[in-house]
Amino acid sequence: MTHPLQELRDAALAEIAAAGDVQALEAVRVLYLGRSGSISAWGEKMKTLSKEERPVVGKLLNEVRSAVTAALEESGEKLRATQEAGALAEIDISLPGTPHEIGALHPLTQMLDRAIGIFRRMGFALAAGPDVEDEWHCFDALNTAPDHPARNEQDTFYLPDGRLLRTHTSTVQIRAMESAPPPIRVIAPGAAFRRDEVDATHSAQFHQIEGLYVDERVSVADLKGALEFFLRELFGAETAVRFRPHYFPFTEPSFEIDVKSKALKSGEKWIEVCGCGMVHPAVFEEMNRARGDAAYDPEKWTGFAFGLGMDRLAMILFDIPDIRLFAQNDLRFLGQFA
Amino acid sequence: MWEGPLCPDLPARRNPSGHKGPSHIPISQRERGVLKFSLNWLREFVELPNDVAQLADLLTLAGVEIEGIEARGANFAHVVVAQVTASAPHPNADRLSVCQVDDGSGQVRQIVCGAKNYKVGDKVPLAQPGAVLSGDLKIKASKLRGVESQGMLCSAKELGIAEDAAGLLILSPEAKIGAPISELFPNDTILDVEITPNRSDLLSHYGLAREIAALTQKPLRALEMAEPRTANGSAVQISAPNECPFYSARRIENITVGPSPDWLRARLESVGLRAINSIVDITNFVMLEIGQPLHAFDADKLRGGINVRLAQPNEKFLALDGRTYQLDPKNLLIADAARGIAIGGVMGGEDTGVTATTRNVLLESAYFSPSNIRRTARELNLPSDASYRFERGVDPGMLLRASERATQLIHEIAGGEPVRETIIAGTLPAAPAGFSLRYTRCDELLGASIAPAEADRILESFGLQKLGATDEQSTWGIPSYRSDLRREVDLIEEIVRVFGIHRITGADRSRFTPASAADRRYDAEMTLRERLVARGFSEARTSALVGRQTLGSGFAKEAIELRNPLSEDHVALRPSLIPGLIAVLERNVRAGAKSVQLFEVGRVFLPAKGEEIRRLALLLCGAAGGPAHWRGAPARELDLFDLKGALESIGLGEVAFRRCESAEFALAMEILTGDQRCGGAGQLASAQAAKAAGAAAVFVAELDLPNEFETVDGARKFREWQRFPSVSRDIALIAPQALTHGEILAAIQSVREPLLAAVELFDLFGGQSVENIGAGRKSLAYSLTYLDKNRTLTSNEVSAAHDRIRERLKSEPGVELRE
Repeated sequence: MTHPLQELRDAALAEIAAAGDVQALEAVRVLYLGRSGSISAWGEKMKTLSKEERPVVGKLLNEVRSAVTAALEESGEKLRATQEAGALAEIDISLPGTPHEIGALHPLTQMLDRAIGIFRRMGFALAAGPDVEDEWHCFDALNTAPDHPARNEQDTFYLPDGRLLRTHTSTVQIRAMESAPPPIRVIAPGAAFRRDEVDATHSAQFHQIEGLYVDERVSVADLKGALEFFLRELFGAETAVRFRPHYFPFTEPSFEIDVKSKALKSGEKWIEVCGCGMVHPAVFEEMNRARGDAAYDPEKWTGFAFGLGMDRLAMILFDIPDIRLFAQNDLRFLGQFA
Repeated sequence: MWEGPLCPDLPARRNPSGHKGPSHIPISQRERGVLKFSLNWLREFVELPNDVAQLADLLTLAGVEIEGIEARGANFAHVVVAQVTASAPHPNADRLSVCQVDDGSGQVRQIVCGAKNYKVGDKVPLAQPGAVLSGDLKIKASKLRGVESQGMLCSAKELGIAEDAAGLLILSPEAKIGAPISELFPNDTILDVEITPNRSDLLSHYGLAREIAALTQKPLRALEMAEPRTANGSAVQISAPNECPFYSARRIENITVGPSPDWLRARLESVGLRAINSIVDITNFVMLEIGQPLHAFDADKLRGGINVRLAQPNEKFLALDGRTYQLDPKNLLIADAARGIAIGGVMGGEDTGVTATTRNVLLESAYFSPSNIRRTARELNLPSDASYRFERGVDPGMLLRASERATQLIHEIAGGEPVRETIIAGTLPAAPAGFSLRYTRCDELLGASIAPAEADRILESFGLQKLGATDEQSTWGIPSYRSDLRREVDLIEEIVRVFGIHRITGADRSRFTPASAADRRYDAEMTLRERLVARGFSEARTSALVGRQTLGSGFAKEAIELRNPLSEDHVALRPSLIPGLIAVLERNVRAGAKSVQLFEVGRVFLPAKGEEIRRLALLLCGAAGGPAHWRGAPARELDLFDLKGALESIGLGEVAFRRCESAEFALAMEILTGDQRCGGAGQLASAQAAKAAGAAAVFVAELDLPNEFETVDGARKFREWQRFPSVSRDIALIAPQALTHGEILAAIQSVREPLLAAVELFDLFGGQSVENIGAGRKSLAYSLTYLDKNRTLTSNEVSAAHDRIRERLKSEPGVELRE
């Protein structure tokens, strides 16, 4: 014989199965398990039962209650999932995402940051010096003769007091050696100025990274290893790097470096990217005179130095055709490098 | 200086205003030391590799960079020398003429021609029907505007022998009618060679051939030139021995000046020099051949002997370019008894030059002080082929031989009779002193191992003489043409040039380096930049030089001006970043930008202290929130509070703002960090902004960046956050328009309520038209947060605290709390 509770359970389960949405299911729950629901009512009824019946019915009531509760939860989860899926199905996921306005770092900054990042991995620290310099730091200390072509009013900007705008960041080599004895391992990013008429490849102001490494027994092999590493990090591992003997007053021997890479627009053409060389002993000698000591004894210390044109490297790396674009700061230009 | 041209594909251009002078080198290339060399000419002195590219690589990798290779020559069939016998206007075309020419075939040919630069009797190249010219131009007999043309008269460009296409190529009168043009212009290859300033010995064909011979281990065919007989004589006197240590003069009599023979003209023209007359051409030829610039005077126009002296103050000199130069005592003058006849080593005089009627010449070959020549040529803006060589230093060993070579050529070509002796004065510079090379030093500096025998072989190939040797070192004598070799390291460079840097393996030489103050500054500034970019600002980098227009205006009242600006756009060092950003705004507004948010981090130059300091500047103008968007907030304009928000959120620390007065601003504020004023901000006065942005409001800020940046000691430290819940209560109030948020905040804080942790303004509206508030009033709503770090607050405590604050606000005149 079936107990009425069992009948209630079967009826509840049937109604739960039949409930088509969350609201109908809730109605079923209230009907059976609500405060005055028909199953809940048995809680009160228990009090009227005999001592013998009570545990049996109590056990049955618990079983029925948990069976119905479980069925309600299971069915409810299904119904909610279906409902949610229905609602989300209407969302047009092709709508554009919420825009976040971000700006752009100037491509020259990005170029400098790439280069600085590589040199820092190689153990170079940064150094700095002023843009307004004296002739000694810009020329004399760098073994540049008094009648050198660069030292005149046609090529170099002078101030009324006789100082000048540095024509290269090599001045920072001198500043670094003035302020500390060897060893020195620094790079100096900065602006330089030349009295050039502005055109697609010339600018009155441009940007360089200067490098200087002075230590015991620094050699051309060390210079070559350092700059080959740098250029391959910058332009890719497959980049061909070529050193060509050249002339700079403040290095001897001196070289220019060409690179060639299929990844660049220039393709199979060698393009010049760097000037470098071994610090000229005359630079050390002049430094000792200025310091009043023999800290830079050219017999004990040797070093390499190099200069990289950042505008030029950025033009090569980012395919920028005209140097004037850097100073124009057109947002259509800057935005391309965001 | 490290850098060459900025872009390798385009030629460098310097000295745009430079006077061209009588030069075969374009100014731009000469500034970089690019010269033209003829392979045919070089072959007279040394055997060359068959493959030009191989020669170019050899030289380039030895430091003599080949920048260009150009095939020349007129090797065309059916192109012959023809003489124009008649010329008449074309009946149907104004610009054309109808010529009759004799091409040696016995038949007169009729040619229609567009050029104007010939006259009847000239000899010109004729392309006969069947010829194929450069650019695959096929020549046929045809009718031009109805007139028969049996071929074409050619320009130098059409024959591929020069870039100059203006008119027909007028040939020498001696050219044989009917001769194939290839006999006049044999095939040749022209190299553009960059000669570094230390290598004056390479500024001639003989000199470059000597270098090639050394690099290829081939014999150099020496120039057969005897030293001439010399005598000291009163005819030449040097009064300025520092500026001119040595001078020689040779008199050659009874010459006949005329056009140069074709071979000579072809040599000069092959490297881009214009033929003038036989005497001038010979001096130029010898210069290009062996590097010594010469000058020929018309001896009959000289009065008395030659005196090499400094110019008088303001002494005037009429040069052969037809211009009068005013000289000073720094300039060297070659003078006769009456006047200056040449600016020594730079340019000859107008009235003593060789002309068609000259009968007797005086040939000068001298050594001038390089620095004096350099200064004079530059001061007078008179760069020339001669000054170019003198200022780099000519070979004292070649000076008299060059004079002898020219004398012989003048004898052969112009029929002159040289007098027996060359008159000389002064002393030739001594040969460079010898010095030693230590083989281990060479190996250490190069990071390679080079056998002493190989090092010796290389130095000997360059003409150095081994004076003595031990196992460790050798001593070397330096030839007169290598004055650039002055010390050991110069010899090491010669060795590595030939040994080949490709044979040196790059080494990984690292060293730990502590961070410097510049490193910390760089990192801090990059963080600042990246934060601004993340907030929608784009980075501008403007020039440190500002234009005349900017100077004297609001943000650049005082600036350090350049003594020698090149253009009005760059006349002074910027004392502020703002003018640069305003110019960038102007450009972008003109380009149609609707929203401009810019920053710049850079140096400014303060005239008062002569200081360079680093600053940050921001500029805002136009629409906020980017382009229209489907869920965008209502459109609004960028304003002062966007500027403040940016400054408050990029890690500058606590920043405060205080109103101030400034003519440049419609609304001006000081920016304070701590109690220090570090910059200014605000909305630009329309006088500053209107040109760039019209009626739109422009907001700018500029502040000094700190000098010192954090080290590891400045790292931030963790702070425990509050464990007990906080309680929020709101206050809504109506206040007079004039009562500021700052004042309300100060009033709230004046209660010094210990439980009050934060006050946020979350609503503000007001103004004339707002209902329920009334004119001149505004409504504000604040959320106040209460907490205690040691316990959970009770509702009563919070209410008591909140009430104290409400009471305080009620006491503000005109303030009314809303319930």
